[in-house]
Amino acid sequence: MTVSCDVVVVGGGHAGCEAALASARLGVDTVLVTMEQAAIGRMSCNPSIGGIAKSHIVFELDALGGEMAKNADYTGLQFRILNTRKGPAVRSNRAQCDKYAYSGRMLAVLQQTEGLRIIEGSVSRLILTNGRLLGVETIDGSHIRANCVVITAGTFLRGTIHIGDKSYPGGRNGEPAASGLSDSLEALGIRIARLKTGTPPRLHADSLNYAAMQIQPGLVPPPFFSHAARTEWQMFHVEHRQGSDSVFHVEHPPSMLRPWPLVEPQLPCYLTHTTARTHEIVRSNLGRSSLYGGFIAGTGVRYCPSLEDKIVKFADREQHHVFIEPEGRNTPSIYPNGISNSLPEDVQLEMVRSIPGLENARILDWAYAIEYDFADPTQLMPSLESKLCEHLYLAGQINGTTGYEEAAGQGFIAGVNAARNCLGRPPVVMPRQESYIGVMIDDLVTKGTSEPYRMFTSRAEHRLALRQDNARFRLHARAKDIGLLSDAHLAETERKVGEINGEIERLSTKWDEDGISLIQMLRRPDVGYRSLSGALAGLSDDVVEQIEITTKYAGYIVREEQQIARSRHLEEQAIPAWIDYKAITSLRKESIEKLSRIRPLNLGQASRIAGVNPTDISLLALVIRRGKPWTEGAGC
Amino acid sequence: MSIGDEKDTIAGIATAQGEGGISIVRVSGPAALAIADSVFACHSPPPSRRDGGTFVHGQVTAGDNPPAGGPGATVVDEAVLLIFRAPRSYTREDVVEIQGHGGVVSAQRVLRRVLDAGARLAEPGEFTKRAFINGRIDLTQAEAVLDLIRAGSDRAAAAAIEQLGGALTSWVTTTYDDLLSLVGGLEVGLDFPDDEMPPLLIEESCRMADAVGRQLDRLLGTWDEGHVVRDGVLTVISGKPNVGKSTLFNALLGTDRAIVADHPGTTRDTLEERLIIDGILLRLVDTAGLRDTDCVIEHQGVLRAKQQMQKADLHIHILDASQPLDRTDRESLSLMPPDRTIVVLNKVDLGVTIEPSSIAEYPVISACFLKPGAVDNLKTTLASRIARYSGGPARVTISERHRQAILAASVDTREAMSLLAHGREEAIAPAVSLLRSAAEELAMITGRVYHDDLLDRVFSRFCIGK
Repeated sequence: MTVSCDVVVVGGGHAGCEAALASARLGVDTVLVTMEQAAIGRMSCNPSIGGIAKSHIVFELDALGGEMAKNADYTGLQFRILNTRKGPAVRSNRAQCDKYAYSGRMLAVLQQTEGLRIIEGSVSRLILTNGRLLGVETIDGSHIRANCVVITAGTFLRGTIHIGDKSYPGGRNGEPAASGLSDSLEALGIRIARLKTGTPPRLHADSLNYAAMQIQPGLVPPPFFSHAARTEWQMFHVEHRQGSDSVFHVEHPPSMLRPWPLVEPQLPCYLTHTTARTHEIVRSNLGRSSLYGGFIAGTGVRYCPSLEDKIVKFADREQHHVFIEPEGRNTPSIYPNGISNSLPEDVQLEMVRSIPGLENARILDWAYAIEYDFADPTQLMPSLESKLCEHLYLAGQINGTTGYEEAAGQGFIAGVNAARNCLGRPPVVMPRQESYIGVMIDDLVTKGTSEPYRMFTSRAEHRLALRQDNARFRLHARAKDIGLLSDAHLAETERKVGEINGEIERLSTKWDEDGISLIQMLRRPDVGYRSLSGALAGLSDDVVEQIEITTKYAGYIVREEQQIARSRHLEEQAIPAWIDYKAITSLRKESIEKLSRIRPLNLGQASRIAGVNPTDISLLALVIRRGKPWTEGAGC
Repeated sequence: MSIGDEKDTIAGIATAQGEGGISIVRVSGPAALAIADSVFACHSPPPSRRDGGTFVHGQVTAGDNPPAGGPGATVVDEAVLLIFRAPRSYTREDVVEIQGHGGVVSAQRVLRRVLDAGARLAEPGEFTKRAFINGRIDLTQAEAVLDLIRAGSDRAAAAAIEQLGGALTSWVTTTYDDLLSLVGGLEVGLDFPDDEMPPLLIEESCRMADAVGRQLDRLLGTWDEGHVVRDGVLTVISGKPNVGKSTLFNALLGTDRAIVADHPGTTRDTLEERLIIDGILLRLVDTAGLRDTDCVIEHQGVLRAKQQMQKADLHIHILDASQPLDRTDRESLSLMPPDRTIVVLNKVDLGVTIEPSSIAEYPVISACFLKPGAVDNLKTTLASRIARYSGGPARVTISERHRQAILAASVDTREAMSLLAHGREEAIAPAVSLLRSAAEELAMITGRVYHDDLLDRVFSRFCIGK
């Protein structure tokens, strides 16, 4: 069988879904190949979306026209805000989602998207003729011919699952690994290395003693990620306040797209902790752990360590948190967050039962560690297209990241750029001064990674300006260029930007009786916009929020902008194609090697390569300004 | 100085301007040897046919016609010519160095001759810049070399050599590391939810920020010393007209540099000469006498004198011991910090009428400059006043670029500290933004990549769960 399309996306995880949706929604004929349709958008590990810095990515996806924010909002079980007291720059939303509803809704969205087909199959190799990429082949020999290929294979490439001293091939619990594709990538010269990650056991909800744990309720009103859910919630409540008879309110019957109403009561999570006994059990069985028994070679996630890691590396801690999180409304499965491990089954059981509230826990699925192939992301361009093979895009965990949000952010950009490639439009490159997605991709393609890459707010130099609350406004121009949002939405954003700027301007020229400008008043920590004497009544909450935060952060944001401006000349200085690093004899060997390998687009990117120092950058700047290829002693 | 003009051949005087045994005119670029052929007369073969790494004795001649070395050619200077061929030279270009027989005037005549023959006058640091462009030295070395070139005394040279060896780097790195620990602790507080965090110690962070601020200030303190080491101690001789400033100036230099006369107001402009005492370079300045005057020229001289006094690192203020202290002297003295001033009482042989208590704050030297050995006492006192610039081996000194960076880092750190001092968690993100900027300023000195360091710092020490 042969199928033809413009863009084929290999993998139906969080990266693959965003890639396929973005591509199809841009009007490009798109096919998504997945091993199993039911596994589309599956949350293989913790059933939650968001968290610190990851939430920023979800907001950015919503601002650009991605799906993740809506999918989390409409299938969320519990919504919280983290870092409330630490200010807007690091404030982050986090939603526990119904694992099955999340997956089901995403599948329904894909199925209802025009120009998008889903094909079940396992891709075994790339089809290439004379170096030209023609599509992919599945293990049953079918061909999917495409102009562009987006690989979002997650942990499936040569995936190996480890439980204690047992190991077997697998891409995820109960799912087969993909073996051939890595060979195809390696044949192109793509460097493949191993990473590992892990997941905790799943427990039966009825076997837990919740009285021994601390309850963690959700927040009302729920802090949503998406503009759509926020708007709907607001309309609903305005109607109720006005006592209307739901004239404007449309009752949505439950469907895959909307499994329950937004006002459905939230489910609580619970908090418990490990004990001295837990630590003792782990310590005395370290030799039987896949990780510590020497069965795993891949590098693990430093920021989301396994229980073995926590107990070995942080031996002075007497206990660690364990969060008890429901996996759905209609499943007894509980995700105990914080005890991911690779211990043998008998040890896992003993260990789990040493935790308060889990004394009689029944285990539904065992914890495991998984090792998988990832491709060196420095071999990608910032568009996520491979430097080694035109029309080939890589996104998600295959690029060395961890997390659904990181995967979705890359998937979206890869999908957009594959589609634009087909449409003959230039790729979208996200600058790191503008978004977390930009920071992440720039980090990956410039520095690479030797461990699973997770987003942090501290990775963003311009953290005060890159907030989740202003994603819609700061990404407006980018969203317009990408073209996935409705004209009405874009026009509304534009109007609000005008209102925000206009009002800040007005406040700076309005003075109270004591000669203090209203903007100065608003800068004070405890003064809100609506309490100002001259405040306008008609401004919406999101506009007021922007006026307040922008004003209070103004001094610092200006400083950050000055710093951005200081390095802007480096960002703007493109490195021409004729540059031959090997011929610049005064560059150090390490720099020559790294610059030749990564081939940065501009001096800014070059300056961020680890091991390239300011002297090298000055030298490069000189050579570029000379405007001619370097030769030893030329013309001197 | 634009890039892309390395086809030029440049020339400049490579030795210090002043009296010296030898002066060197350096010529670098593709035409260096051809220029040598046309200006330098020696026995056959001509310079352009000689090997690199050789030297030849000869004469710099005054013009091409009659031909160099031929009968009738005027000799500018007797000289030794050193030949370096690319790439085995300082700039990796063809280089010739003409070593003449000292003296500013003769070196300038040789240079003019070389420029007439087709070279372009080198801009400051241009030889070093070419060495850098052609890959002979790196940027930090280039900076140190420039300091070394500009160094006016042995101690300045020692400091420059120290910087080449990384003393500054290690000072800055220590402070940078402390800053990073501080930022790292705060970053963890921002990037992980409270329930996973060790309790945030804002107070502790404040204390660390304060310590970093103080370290930066100490480093800035070396600027003062550094500029003195590089540029010399600006020592200004001041006083009313005809108290003997120029006499003292000449006596200290041991020459008759300034015109001396009994007529008050003889010195109308400031004169500057270099003097080395105990290995420390002094820039000794003689000024016009301080008085109200109707003479426009003299008035200008007084203004200049006052400008110099404002910039002075060290004051030598001369009083006429036979006259009581008047308003002009009191005003002058009020502007002079006692630890940077020496008061000299001249003309003690005419009787002392000055009130000792009025100048009790200052070290006072009594003298009669007309007597031999009169300034020995003063030299000893000068040596003790400037001793703080010579404590032991040369310490770290910082350049203007470093000073700007450290100053910016210091300002940012202080501001972050005052933000944190309020104890509000909301202030952490802006404070970290300031501290990051401080760290980046320091990283620019050492050339380290701030970002990678930080993440390693942040994530190696903390146990992170959810």
